[in-house]
Order: sequence, then C-alpha cells, then structure tokens
Amino acid sequence: MSYCVNCGVELEASLERCPLCNTPVINPNEVTHTNAVPPFPKEKGQVEVVKSKDLALLLSISLTATAVVCGSLNLLVFSQSAWSLYVIGACLVLWVLAIPAVIYTRLPIYFCLLFDGLSIGLYQYLISFNTKSHVWFYELAMPLTLLATAIALLFALLYKKVSRSFLMIGLYFFSCLALLCAGIELLIERFFETPFRLTWSAIVLSICVVIDIALITILSRARLRNAVRRRLHF
Amino acid sequence: MPMPKNTKKPAKDWYRLDLSAIVYPTLQRRDFSSVYRISVLLKDTIQPDVLQRAADIALKRFPTYKVAMRKGLFWRYLEPNDRPGPFVQKDIRNFCMPMSFKGNNRYMIRLYYYDRRISLEAHHSLGDGTGGMYLLQTIAAVYLKLLGHPIPAQYYVMDTDHAPDEEEFEDAYMRYANASVCPDRPSEKTYRVRGTREPSHTFNVIDGILSVQETMAVAKRYQATITEYLNAVLLYALLQKQEHDFHIRLRPVRIAMPVNLRRFFPSRTLRNFITMVYPSIDPRLGDYTFEEIVTHVHNYMRYYINEKFLRGDITTNAATKRNPFIRIVPLFIKDFVVRLFYTRVQDKNSSAGLTNMGALKVPDEMKPFIERFDIYMGMPYSQRTNCAIISYEDILTINFASCIIEADVERRFFKKLVEDGIHVKIESNRSFEEE
Repeated sequence: MSYCVNCGVELEASLERCPLCNTPVINPNEVTHTNAVPPFPKEKGQVEVVKSKDLALLLSISLTATAVVCGSLNLLVFSQSAWSLYVIGACLVLWVLAIPAVIYTRLPIYFCLLFDGLSIGLYQYLISFNTKSHVWFYELAMPLTLLATAIALLFALLYKKVSRSFLMIGLYFFSCLALLCAGIELLIERFFETPFRLTWSAIVLSICVVIDIALITILSRARLRNAVRRRLHF
Repeated sequence: MPMPKNTKKPAKDWYRLDLSAIVYPTLQRRDFSSVYRISVLLKDTIQPDVLQRAADIALKRFPTYKVAMRKGLFWRYLEPNDRPGPFVQKDIRNFCMPMSFKGNNRYMIRLYYYDRRISLEAHHSLGDGTGGMYLLQTIAAVYLKLLGHPIPAQYYVMDTDHAPDEEEFEDAYMRYANASVCPDRPSEKTYRVRGTREPSHTFNVIDGILSVQETMAVAKRYQATITEYLNAVLLYALLQKQEHDFHIRLRPVRIAMPVNLRRFFPSRTLRNFITMVYPSIDPRLGDYTFEEIVTHVHNYMRYYINEKFLRGDITTNAATKRNPFIRIVPLFIKDFVVRLFYTRVQDKNSSAGLTNMGALKVPDEMKPFIERFDIYMGMPYSQRTNCAIISYEDILTINFASCIIEADVERRFFKKLVEDGIHVKIESNRSFEEE
C-alpha cells in the first residue's frame, strides 16, 4: 500500500506514478505489486471502420457507366480519334483512388500507393495512344511515375515502421523531396540526352540537406529535442 | 367496412426517440459519441461464455436496448435489431470509444469483461444510467443464476421470464411536460477548463474510492448531503484552477448535474428521464470560502430540485419538440441547428459535468458476489472533465473521465477530500510513457 507524498491519496498497487500529480511511487518495502492484476487492461481498442457500401456501389456504377457510355460514343458516333481513352483512364484512376476510402478500408497503405502508381501509369499509357509515338511514355512518364511511387512507398514505410514524431516526419519529408527533385531532373536529362548535371534540383537539394542537418542535430540532443517539441506542439 | 379489432397487440416494430435522445445522435462525430459506461466488479473471475449466454437471455427482456438507429425524413427512430450479437468482448484501456451507428452489427451497446469486472457501454439515445443499470444488474443476476446462484427479481434486477411492460418504453417527458409556462434556460458563458488535448480515442480515467460513512460524516459537518458536498468540492476545485491559471477575466463556474426525474414523477421507463440543474458560483462577486460554497450549493439544490421547477424545465424542453413548425423541418436542417446550438450555447453553459447515481440497492442474495459498481459519464464533448459518482454498501466511487492530459481538476478535488480527512484510494488507466 503506497501513498502519494504530494497529494496524500492511497495509490492502487500497479500505479508507478500518481495519476493526479505525476509524482513517482517509490516504496522500497513493496516490490511484489507487479503480480497483482491491474484495474484496467493494457490493450487499447480500435474504432470499428464501417465500409460505406452504398457509396462504393454508387461510385463504381457511376464511373463504369461513364466509361462505357464514352467508349460507345467514341466507337459509334465521334470516332475521329480515341478521345474516350482520356475519360476511361480518368474513371479508372478515380476508382483506384477511392479504394482505401470507401471500397476496401483495411487495405495496407503500401498496396494503396502501389495501385495508385499503377493506375496513373496505365492512364499515361492510354494517353500515349493519342500521341504520335509511345517513346515519351517509356522513356520519361513511366520512369517518373515509378520514381514518385517508390519515394511515396519509402515515406510510408519510414512513417509506419521507424518513428512518427513530427521532427522525424520532417526529416523523411525533406530527404524524400531532395531525392524526388534530383531524380526528376536526371530522368529529364536522360530523355533529352543532355549530359547529367544537377541545376535547379541542386538548389532544392542543398536547402533540404541544410534542413536535414538541422533536424538531425535537434533529434540527436535530447534537451534541444524536448525544447523544440514543447515550443512547437500542436 | 370497419376493420376487425385485433385482440393481441403486435410487437413494436419501431420506437420514437425520447426527448433527450433526439439530441445525442446529432452530436455524433468521428471522434465523439454520447456513450456512457457502468460496471460491476464481482468477487470471482468472469467466465465469458456464461456471460454471453446471460446477455442473450437478459436482452430479450430489454427490447429498447436491442435496437438499431435509423434515419427518417424528419426524425431518427429505433428499429428492433435481430442481427447476431451483441457479443461480449475483452475489455480495453480506452473504453467509451466512439460508437458508429453502422458498426457492431448496428448494436448500440457493448459488453466487456476483464478479470472480475462486467462493463456495459450504451449510447445515451437508448436510455439514461438508470435504464442501463437495470440492464447491467439483470445481466449480472442471470450470469450468477447460470453459475448456480438463484437471484430474485428485485430493485434493478428484472424478471427475464416476464414480457416487458409498455410503460418501460414510454417517453415519460411528454407525460409530465404539462406546466402552463416555459421558464427560460440559463445561458451564460462559463469558465472553460483549458488543457492539452490527448490524441483521438484516448480516454483518461481517474477513479477515487472512498468510504460512504466517512464521506457522510464529513458532509454532515458542513450540514450538507454527500451530493451537495461533492458538488461543492468540484466547484471549489474549478474555482481554484481558474484563479491559478492564466485568465483575462473571471467567469462563473457552473456544473451540469443530471437529476433523475423518476424520483419526482413516477414512471417505470427504461429510456431517458433526466434533466439538468446547474449549481454555480460566480467569483466576480467576491472570494467564496469552501463553507460558503457548500451553503450556496445546499440552498440551490433545496430551491430548484423539486417537482414544480423540474416540471417547468421539462416543459421548456418539450416545447421545441411539440412545435409544429419545428416538426416539419427536414432532419438534416434540425441536425445542423441543434449542433450549432449545442456547440455555441449549451456546451459553454457549464464548466464540468457531475452525476450521482446514489446508493445502489441489489437483492440480498446478490450481495455476497458483488464488490462495487463504477459509472463513467463518457467522453466529454469539449475539453473538460466529467465526474460520476455511485455508491454501494460502504464503497463510494468517484470516476473522473477526460480527454486532456492535465489532471489539475482531479488533483485539487481529491486533495480537498484528503484535507477534510477522507481516505481516498486512486485507480487510473493513465499511462506514463516518457516521450
């Protein structure tokens, strides 16, 4: 049986600190309390996610109908060019983007991002049927989409598996931004067959490196880290 | 041609929401539902399979708790729910979680078990704490019966072999809202507790366990009842907090306290039948000593909590539901207006909530199996603390629930009790993980 030295209340045996004033409980005579069943369970509950079935159905039917109607019009009436591919591709992208929100809410974020990237890639491929050649798609659009998807996946992985503190999120964000900008510039130079040289992305890269160094410094020093968290908490 | 009269009354296939229940679904947010919890702590570890059987048997006696919420064009209503469930589940730390009307097989109650404790969580649209207590005690009695300990139907324990009475479903407000004048509601901005919001779905609980005899002796010293004394202590804690925290101007400190109307207007309803009274202290009038606060609360309670004033209060509330112009307004407009009124006026009308279910009675045969009861008012709508009190035999439990990190109000509250010579034992679900 321990009492809080500050509040004077008796504390339940499993409490390590007084819940009222946060004073630690130090009772050298009582070290066996860990065997007692605590009054509250340790497991936290999750709010049940309700799938919006009606909305998913409505969305799927509307998008399919739009795609089918435009495709038929293109085939039968306005058949000068394959313009319906723009609409069909847009419907597909919208449907894929809606999957995590209304259709299958428990889909892991990695699959969602992968499907988003694939659907955008497919849309670009459909667009390439309306252009003179497919070269821009294979040489530029596809590598750019792959790069953006890979970086989004990397960001999600770091966010989920490493740390979610806002300083760490800042670190991931600026690192990913630097990678993305440098990658975009190099891929554009590869497409136009100019020598590999960083120009505009070098500015973004250097700003991101400076911010990253500042963040790493803050993160590595506990006192500084706590001071920043205290002042910037939201 | 006249229709032949049906001698047997058909089973109800829908229920109107009662006067209080109309408000709760409109306040529903992704991170907030008006869910309260009552628990009973038994003396032996709970057997979940027996508890599930007990719940299935007991719930047949409570048709208004085995329902789903539905939307009409003008009002919401409750529809009997025959889906499988509700299923008993292992208890969690962050209980009183938001309750989606479409989740949990559309059931609006949850049943938890943990070690020796059975907990019932119910949406306030179904009924108040008294209704919930009938259900919980009946489940506990059936559970004990299944374990071979027969419990008679008495006090809060209902006979599960009998069909429910019509009066148990009634909206008792409408029966008694018949005063010829509608008194005004108090509407003044009051002191709001400032604090750091916890992440969504975190529910901080601090329970204080006291002796009824000891508390009663101290309350008598101040010539007050236990409710008046504890109300005064909470007002005192809030006044102190307001004074010590940063403030530009002082505001009145007011507590929203539900009163069980069954004490004044006979009804066996299991739905909501409560109204709010607001004991308050205005620090702008001068510094109040604790003795003065107790006297003020004591006089307020004596003056306002009587059949006449309460009848006036429920008549004012019922007037809006009876108004034909309000009745024909579509539900989504009603929702918008009610939410706006609640956020702008009603929620700012009080600094904290306090409810006292009083001394619970259980059948003598059940007493050897029960240690204590707990009640939680649920997650507060805004950043504040809710306090719920219940007593059984000589154990008085004070349960504070909040969704802010700071526990200043609770600390000042319990400190005052300790200063007055009451022994307080604290339990909590708060975690103290360092950043």
